[in-house]
Amino acid sequence: MTELQIKLKLYRLNQDEYAQIQKLLGRDPKGLEWALFSALWSEHCSYKSSKIHLKQLFSQSPRVLQSFGENAGIVDLGQGEKIAFKMESHNHPSFIEPYQGAATGVGGILRDIFTMGARPIALANYLCFGEPKANRMETLVDGVVRGIGGYGNCVGVPTITGQTHFHSSYNENILVNAMAVGYFGKADPICLSKAKGVGTLVVYVGAKTGRDGIHGASMASESFDDNSAAKRPTVQIGDPFFEKLLIEACLEVMKKDLVVAIQDMGAAGLTSSTFEMAEKGEVGIDMHLDQVPLRDSTLTPEDIMLSESQERMLLICDPAKLKPLQEVFERWGLDASVIGKVTQGPNVRLFWNMELITDINPATIVSHAPQYQRPFEKYNSPYLKPQAVPQDGGNTLQTLETILKSEHGGSREWVYRQYDQRVGAATARDCSDPVGVVRLPESGRALGVVLGCRPHMMRLDPQFGGRDSILHPALQLAVMGFEPLAVTDCLNFGNPEKTETMTQFVAALDGMNSACRELQAPIISGNVSFYNETKSKNISPTPSTGLVGLRSKMENLPTTAFASEGEEIYTLTWGDCWAEGLLAEMNDKTPKAFLNFETQGFDQFVKELTKLGTSDLVSSARIVSKFGLLYALTRMSLNGMGARIESTQNHFVEPLYQIVVSTKNAAALEKEVQSWGLKPLKIQKIGQTQKNELVWADLKVKSEVLNQLYKKSWEAQFENLA
Amino acid sequence: MYKIGVRIMPRAEVLDTQGRAVGMTLKSKGFQVMDCKVGKFVILQIEGESPAHARAQATKISEDLLCNTLIETFQIEELP
Amino acid sequence: MSDKIGVLRFPGTNCDWDIYKAVEWSGAKPTFLWHQDTFNVEDYDGFVIPGGFSYGDYLRSGALAAHAPAMDSLRTAAEKGYPIFGVCNGFQILCEAGLLPGALMRNAGLRFIDQMIEIETQNSHKRFGLKLKKNQKSRMPIAHADGRYFVTDDELKKIQDNDQVYCTYVANPNGSAGNIAGVMNAKKNVVAMMPHPERAIYEWMGSSDGQLYFRN
Repeated sequence: MTELQIKLKLYRLNQDEYAQIQKLLGRDPKGLEWALFSALWSEHCSYKSSKIHLKQLFSQSPRVLQSFGENAGIVDLGQGEKIAFKMESHNHPSFIEPYQGAATGVGGILRDIFTMGARPIALANYLCFGEPKANRMETLVDGVVRGIGGYGNCVGVPTITGQTHFHSSYNENILVNAMAVGYFGKADPICLSKAKGVGTLVVYVGAKTGRDGIHGASMASESFDDNSAAKRPTVQIGDPFFEKLLIEACLEVMKKDLVVAIQDMGAAGLTSSTFEMAEKGEVGIDMHLDQVPLRDSTLTPEDIMLSESQERMLLICDPAKLKPLQEVFERWGLDASVIGKVTQGPNVRLFWNMELITDINPATIVSHAPQYQRPFEKYNSPYLKPQAVPQDGGNTLQTLETILKSEHGGSREWVYRQYDQRVGAATARDCSDPVGVVRLPESGRALGVVLGCRPHMMRLDPQFGGRDSILHPALQLAVMGFEPLAVTDCLNFGNPEKTETMTQFVAALDGMNSACRELQAPIISGNVSFYNETKSKNISPTPSTGLVGLRSKMENLPTTAFASEGEEIYTLTWGDCWAEGLLAEMNDKTPKAFLNFETQGFDQFVKELTKLGTSDLVSSARIVSKFGLLYALTRMSLNGMGARIESTQNHFVEPLYQIVVSTKNAAALEKEVQSWGLKPLKIQKIGQTQKNELVWADLKVKSEVLNQLYKKSWEAQFENLA
Repeated sequence: MYKIGVRIMPRAEVLDTQGRAVGMTLKSKGFQVMDCKVGKFVILQIEGESPAHARAQATKISEDLLCNTLIETFQIEELP
Repeated sequence: MSDKIGVLRFPGTNCDWDIYKAVEWSGAKPTFLWHQDTFNVEDYDGFVIPGGFSYGDYLRSGALAAHAPAMDSLRTAAEKGYPIFGVCNGFQILCEAGLLPGALMRNAGLRFIDQMIEIETQNSHKRFGLKLKKNQKSRMPIAHADGRYFVTDDELKKIQDNDQVYCTYVANPNGSAGNIAGVMNAKKNVVAMMPHPERAIYEWMGSSDGQLYFRN
């Protein structure tokens, strides 16, 4: 290898990118510039494979105050209240060191939120693991769950919802996606990351810089191979206690108007924060790297620029306000050190012991990062031809037992009982429900948070699966009376340099985008995680989503289990799409499906459902999801209730979409639903609630029996984690 | 039977969050503490053919379970 | 005239506002007290130490907070018989500070537990739980990793004989000695519990049984 090839390999740049850098600079890159281009042109920071597609996203609505381009998106809730939210992946670090990987994932997403001036009020997490018996899987599950809990619980933000999936495609590449939601009251300012004001100071706050995660950003942009172990010394250590201090101090200085701009040091640490702040503000920055507080005095300028030590922020502050700013940080036991100042620019100049070591225009690196149109094929769904819904077969009870005992159908309580779901004393619905609910402090209205993306639907049809990643959670919000407002996403895919992956990516994004447009619920923040492949094996395409919804009041919130006996049970069924889904996969059968979805009127359906969900007509409701109607009824019966069902519907086929509701006022409910005048919508009475027992055709089983199976499946799957 | 002590400390280059918190408190109480590191000490009673054999087992136990070598180092010592 | 209640805040306290709001709900007037500052005990009618992870729970839960300057003032308040209430991490801090008997250790299952549980009142308290009746059941959440109450057998017998048990778990979730969820000091002015009554004030929280612990 030539010296140049070695350098390109070390800095993970290819020949074309090298040529482009030469062209931009008019010369060869030198010294620290190599590291800066390496970090900011990595897939993780530059989105070079996805940007062309992300630009097409539906990302605006009258409620959106901030979409892509900042640390998180912001939505106006009216009445002076706003929320910021975002979801992010921490897949690769969590596979290497599950506890710290998951913990720092939570820490990072929280910083994205409070950096904008919002107080974090809720966390959610979307996890995909391999088969329970796969190599290291117990350790990974244990570490990730303890890591999320360890960080979130300590920092004092409740985890109110989550999803956990299992599939062999994640055996060597698990997914850890965390979402955070932050709150702005009437008096809370929104803070942005745009540096401004020549002569203002660049202030470093939070933890000292160490060796943590050096080259982390470029590592996340690579596939795993057998040499991953050698990359281990870059594990980042999170300290939720320190983060809590940072939250309080940062929110205080923002509220007191002591900062001009603020940015957290996330991926590529000081490099991305410095260059992005300067680039956005169209200013220069003079920064003295020898002034950066260090935990390890042997760090070089390159180490300092690339370190991903956690719990650090970069602030821009008016010199006149430095003293009061430092006083606030000191009170919280934190240091705030001046490391540079904003200049006319245009260049960012980096100094080491007064010597100028780098002098470069931030636009050169940030806005001229490469963008690739990676090859993909047009996706055509094979499931558009109508076909007969399969008949029920076999012993219903036996099948149901198999489902409940499996890792797919059993309880997730082992996971979520390790999360503090109620700190903040605002939680109305916790992780045991699909939609997490918190009360908004000032208006007393309810905020709903729900996650989407069902990997088995993605494996079936990435385009429909993408659509489902929006529609399924939107229905979950609506039926509880929440208006779906906006979306964040985490697009977890394999290697984008493979046509197959890009085809899935484009198809999924297209499905998501159409659904968002139809519902007028824009995607306003998120991230892309490519290279989720190990030894050339890709994960299932997994565009996880987080939706937030607003409900005008706390009262009449339907339960997701049957509320009382003697209520009438109905199904509301939209159109006639269906899939054999997860049960077919469990039986190693290729699932059949019909996915020609009726979009016309669906937006009105969601609006009407939202109104219905706040009325007193619905006492309990649940979306029929994986494993079909019987599984949904089972979940509604676990609390000692039950039902007597008369329906000819297939027990296990998954309808897309169907909702089960129970009501005390059948006549009024029927009248209401008919008044919507929606052609594709069918309302059907299917039975009555009762105590203790679930009865449907050949099935007759005690709720307690089902409850025991549901609760004990975790122990059976993970012997050492009970 | 051999009594083996395993001293587990955070790696020098890795942030010791616990040590930092304890150090902060000590400083705020006026002690002249410049740095603080917190680790663990584990005492194992091991059946072994020889001291070397017991130490080898302790090393394996430490690598396998007691110590996360990504973020911690360990030292083995024979105790009286 | 409403009571003035001092609410202590340490770095890492995270239930401070939850307690503040519950105290406010009860009709009393809450004031935050900062860990680094001593305070004049006569300015208040009672004190609460909220839950959280003071100092990240490093070393031992509550150990580092127990050495804060504000705790010196709180000791004076305890000696003078002021009502003092600790919840969760507040319980751990009061034990570490020696104001309550016993210690809180890692849960028997070695994991953090967040769960709605049921407790049974064993004794009322003059300010925080005046109207609680013996054997009264209340539902509220627990959320802790270090909640296993530990005392020696002799000490356990002593606090039981002396009516210092404040509340017990109906189904012991964490291995606590004597099923103890909350205890009092010998003078019965200092009281603390692991469950979170401030998370059970309104029905929409899943229970409103926590009201009685704040209402005077």
